[in-house]
Amino acid sequence: MNFRVRAATKEDCKEISRMIMELAVYEKMSEQVEISHKELERDGFCQNPFFECLVAEVPEEHKSKEGCTVVGYALYFYTYSTWRGRSVFLEDLYVMPEFRGNGIGKGLLCKVAEVGRKKDCVRLQLSVLDWNTPSRDFYAAKGAQDLTVSEGWHFIRFDGQNLENLANEAPKDL
Amino acid sequence: MEFSIRAANVEDCRDIARMIRVSRHVRTYLEQDGFSKNPFFHGIVAEVPEHVLFSGHTKIGYALYFYSYSSWTGRAIYMEDLYVMPEFRGKGIGKALMSKVAQLGLAAGCNQLNFTVLDWNKSSLDFYLSQGCFDVTEKMGYHCIRCEGEALEHLAQP
Repeated sequence: MNFRVRAATKEDCKEISRMIMELAVYEKMSEQVEISHKELERDGFCQNPFFECLVAEVPEEHKSKEGCTVVGYALYFYTYSTWRGRSVFLEDLYVMPEFRGNGIGKGLLCKVAEVGRKKDCVRLQLSVLDWNTPSRDFYAAKGAQDLTVSEGWHFIRFDGQNLENLANEAPKDL
Repeated sequence: MEFSIRAANVEDCRDIARMIRVSRHVRTYLEQDGFSKNPFFHGIVAEVPEHVLFSGHTKIGYALYFYSYSSWTGRAIYMEDLYVMPEFRGKGIGKALMSKVAQLGLAAGCNQLNFTVLDWNKSSLDFYLSQGCFDVTEKMGYHCIRCEGEALEHLAQP
């Protein structure tokens, strides 16, 4: 199937928001989605964007049942390792189910790796759910390592009231 | 113990590199990657007054962080490193550094503070859990995946 991967524009945010929800449904956590296309427009296309995004597009003649030509996306941002330097974190990688098996996911992933390399990034990191065997296999086949399994790394988070409480205990500025 | 926390500047890279215990080579990267036009990270340092000197160092702790994003909840802050020199521990400096990162995150509109910890590092894990965080890997099943070296080179082929 003919497709192209390109940088997302502000106008793509409604479609990206649609697909973010589809991915959340797949991950069985749709109730956790709080932001809409408005936040994506504000945070991805400002002076110092919080993320970058690529979209996969198919020609009109291959559009989805609902008429979508934007059929996949990869949302990522730059991170830093004090031991190894510049890295990329792939926050989301998604292809609509009816378009899978055509190399679109791989195309998006490789493009993120290429973009990262141009910025001298030495790592590409992401997270995957432990029960998501197709995704775990997909990344393992590309040479990725599961650091939770091999080294014991866990993600830790502060949010909501706990984050507020922690912030309130910061020393007062001089 | 009297201490203060402030934003790191490029002159702090020598002390940050000392505390990370990395070579001079990597210090150059810290200067370039943290203090140029589009920095990959930001830092805060904890300082003690001159009269509390230990081995001549007044900068005795640091935290490195950067902004990240959740496609579900929006802006987030990621704490890459949190460190206090051993002889200055147990005085609330680590907690103060982490709180400052949280405060900076909230000021920037972030609603998550994220970081990673090794599962065998019980003392760190217990400290963080006692401060009100939760273990995303335990609770939600997310695993940390990494691609680097040859595997990453291969992926990046156009």
